[in-house]
Amino acid sequence: MGKEHLKFVIVGHVDHGKSTLIGRLFFDTGCLPKEKIEEVKKICDSLGKELEFAYVMDHLEEERDQGITIDTAQTFFSTKKRDYVIIDAPGHREFTKNMITGASQAEAAILIVDAEEGVQEQTKRHAYILKMLGLDQVIVVINKMDLVNYDESRFKEVSKDIKEFLNKIGANEPTYIIPISAKEGDNVAKKSENMKWFEGMTILEALDTFKSKMDRSNLALRMPVQDVYKIDDKRIIVGRVEAGTISEGDKVLILPTEENAVIASVEEFLNPDKKKAVCGESTGIVTKEKAFIDRGMVLSDKEDKPIVTSTVKANLFWMSKDPLRKGETVTLKCATEEASCDIEKIEKRIDSSTFEVLEKDASELRNMEVGEVILKTNKEIIVDDFNKTPELGRFVIEKGLDTAGGGIIIMGEEK
Amino acid sequence: MIVVFAIDALEYNLVEEFDCKNLKQDYYGKTDISEFSQPRTMVLWSSFSTGKNKEKDVLEDGNKEMWSKKWDLKETFFSHFKSPVVLDLPGFSYDLEAHERSRKLLKAFFTTEDEQEKEKIREEYNKDAFEHHKKIKEEFFKALNEDHDFVLGYFSVADVIGHLNFGNKTMMRMIYRELDEMAAQIKEKCNKLIILSDHGMYGVGMFGDHSNYGFWSTNFKIPMKTPKITDFSSLITK
Repeated sequence: MGKEHLKFVIVGHVDHGKSTLIGRLFFDTGCLPKEKIEEVKKICDSLGKELEFAYVMDHLEEERDQGITIDTAQTFFSTKKRDYVIIDAPGHREFTKNMITGASQAEAAILIVDAEEGVQEQTKRHAYILKMLGLDQVIVVINKMDLVNYDESRFKEVSKDIKEFLNKIGANEPTYIIPISAKEGDNVAKKSENMKWFEGMTILEALDTFKSKMDRSNLALRMPVQDVYKIDDKRIIVGRVEAGTISEGDKVLILPTEENAVIASVEEFLNPDKKKAVCGESTGIVTKEKAFIDRGMVLSDKEDKPIVTSTVKANLFWMSKDPLRKGETVTLKCATEEASCDIEKIEKRIDSSTFEVLEKDASELRNMEVGEVILKTNKEIIVDDFNKTPELGRFVIEKGLDTAGGGIIIMGEEK
Repeated sequence: MIVVFAIDALEYNLVEEFDCKNLKQDYYGKTDISEFSQPRTMVLWSSFSTGKNKEKDVLEDGNKEMWSKKWDLKETFFSHFKSPVVLDLPGFSYDLEAHERSRKLLKAFFTTEDEQEKEKIREEYNKDAFEHHKKIKEEFFKALNEDHDFVLGYFSVADVIGHLNFGNKTMMRMIYRELDEMAAQIKEKCNKLIILSDHGMYGVGMFGDHSNYGFWSTNFKIPMKTPKITDFSSLITK
């Protein structure tokens, strides 16, 4: 198995220094190609400018546009502990869409705030999305501290503002708040000599404390069933372990039927000694009992289990020109399950840019709007807390043949 | 103080692509230069300064001699001001020697077939253009800090560098970033700011050629959407 990796997204107001921070992270971890820096430095020198990492990032972006070298939408850097993948958040709408539909699958986030300008509208919107997604591994960085003379009181002031806002929207306090200067390199990879008053971690140290998806092996088992194959006389149940582990001899619960089963064997091609599969692994298992198991069902821990329901409340991001109407029947897809569902209620219609509530008890949800909706499925589905098992806490909606929306389950009504 | 930030070959599409907010100001668009047979720098700036189509007069001087053209202050709208400063503008205060050097290097670049020689010339050409840009920039900001009622600075970096390097997007992006940062600084020092180019530029492989429209932007409303380059003299003096 390769080195562990963690995916995170950098969000915040467009001018608050995202590119510079990405550039700095790459540079300080030795992951930025030297010749690129030289090339950009030469132009900077000609213009009588100091080299800024934002320029280097621009350069990498140009190369991406021309399809020359790397994909900066998913760029990598490494620490001794693990590899990191930065997910690019190009625009607010793209970001909202990718985050909600799961295309991004960020496990952590850095929310960047300019020390001089403080908390802005876009900072608030992005903080709101992080809250909506339940992302709780968040570093708030107060950037450009060099422009405020590394002033502790300004740091405290901005920290207070962001904390107050997070509190107002009901979000958790950020895991860390770090004063940095991405441009000068303070508290990114190295402790700042200019802010000796700050005793906390650098960004890299803080990132290294976060849990990656692999760490969800400690949680209760969740294994959505992808398929069932009959090979010789064995019925092999195939799926990916999304949380916990599954081992030979484990007693598991099959949902939604609530049948009990004991794992007879964990199967892996050309590996007869395989006894256990951990979170993130796709595997095959055989049960001792002859249980009815089909695609869409979930193997779960016996005590700590997900919710089986036919009514869910969700935040739904709509991205089809054709509006979603109350009472309409669409297809919901969550992990490997698929169910027909009725839009029972659109409790709130929300502007995805401003997060302003446009209408309560609305009759339709339009393109690029977020709705707080109640969905009624025609059969029982298995859902979970998004934070615990994102794969069972997020879904997409298909209308006709198109993916027209994506959402996060807020709560499922237990049967 | 009224300021004109005159930029040779500032391309509308690149301003949009690189989202140069300061260059765009409050109102912006393309200029209409369709009345001219070709987008020639000397013709267009001469027409701007005098408020009249000067294509015929400039061309009469011949392709080489036209660069020496100097309009009398009285023939230009600059004479409406008490203490105007007009820096390096073709047809008025143009640094002939500096620009002549650029043109010679450009010619040498296209004459030689030796790739190594080409690269050497390109480096010298670029260096020369950047040096000249820095020089005019310094004089321009000095003038902005003085007591003048009109200041115009003409910047050729986007044109000169563009001719040999338009395909190098990084370089072009950085030049537009530089010009955009300059626009932000200028704005703080004046009441009215007009940003104007004679023509734009489009790519021909690695190189750039003049496009048949210019760029304009203002921080005040003007009555037309697609002004002609000759419209600005009356817009400024009124």
